[in-house]
Amino acid sequence: MLKSGGFERKSKTSSEVPTSSLADIAFLLLIFFMVTTVFRSTQDRPITWPSAEAAERIDEKRENIIHVWVESNGDVWLNDRLTPMENVRQIVAPLYAQSDRRLVVSIRADVDVAYARVHQLQQQLQRAGAVRVVFATELERRMTRERR
Amino acid sequence: MAILNKKSKVSDEVPTSSTADIAFLLLIFFLVTTVFPKDMGLQVVLPEEQEQVEVSQRNILHIIVQPSGIVDVRRGESQQVQQLRPADIQGLWRQEVAANPNLIASVRTHPEAAYRFMVDVLDALQGAGAERISLQILE
Repeated sequence: MLKSGGFERKSKTSSEVPTSSLADIAFLLLIFFMVTTVFRSTQDRPITWPSAEAAERIDEKRENIIHVWVESNGDVWLNDRLTPMENVRQIVAPLYAQSDRRLVVSIRADVDVAYARVHQLQQQLQRAGAVRVVFATELERRMTRERR
Repeated sequence: MAILNKKSKVSDEVPTSSTADIAFLLLIFFLVTTVFPKDMGLQVVLPEEQEQVEVSQRNILHIIVQPSGIVDVRRGESQQVQQLRPADIQGLWRQEVAANPNLIASVRTHPEAAYRFMVDVLDALQGAGAERISLQILE
């Protein structure tokens, strides 16, 4: 004899989707993005940026871009270090080989520096084999224009 | 008696159901506010060392950047020099390349000229769609 029939018995399993682990998932996502985000490792040098209308975004991975700073007094900074011009080649050549020949050298030179200095740098890069060069231009102004 | 036995119905646990919302808000906040600096610039490919190409003078537009920022333009073998501002190069290049599609821009900059003038000239050339550009120093 079934008491009041089997049909009326209610299932004790909850019909709701368990949401208690959502917080964990969200935090995992947060941590994932925080860990994988790579910030620029080199410090900016005080230069006056040139501006150019035809400037384009560099179409290369961030790790394959190296910045060479040339200050208004002609000082060259590479990887946060004041570098003599004749050493640029020795530093860039192994990086170029490591990057599987994809290295892009971004020349960040002050607008007032004499062109002779930039030319010497170009020669050093040519000797290192790093032929993909970008004359970096003002970042901020273009970014604000894009936002508008 | 009845009053003493009554238990409070208010839960003594901290409500955790909104933690997910807070976490997502944080996530979205950081995703939105993070600004990555974009690397922008004028891209060129330098010739390999010792790489030399013979080019007919007819196909060369000589652009000489002087220390004052004035640009001297000379066509091929012609001795006639035209003095322009860097901004005028764009229009000039469009005209010249329409007449000769094989034209190469030979930009020679004076060693004492400020870097900005070379960038201005390169900007004008790239803005006009020039692809064959040679960058040299004036000797």
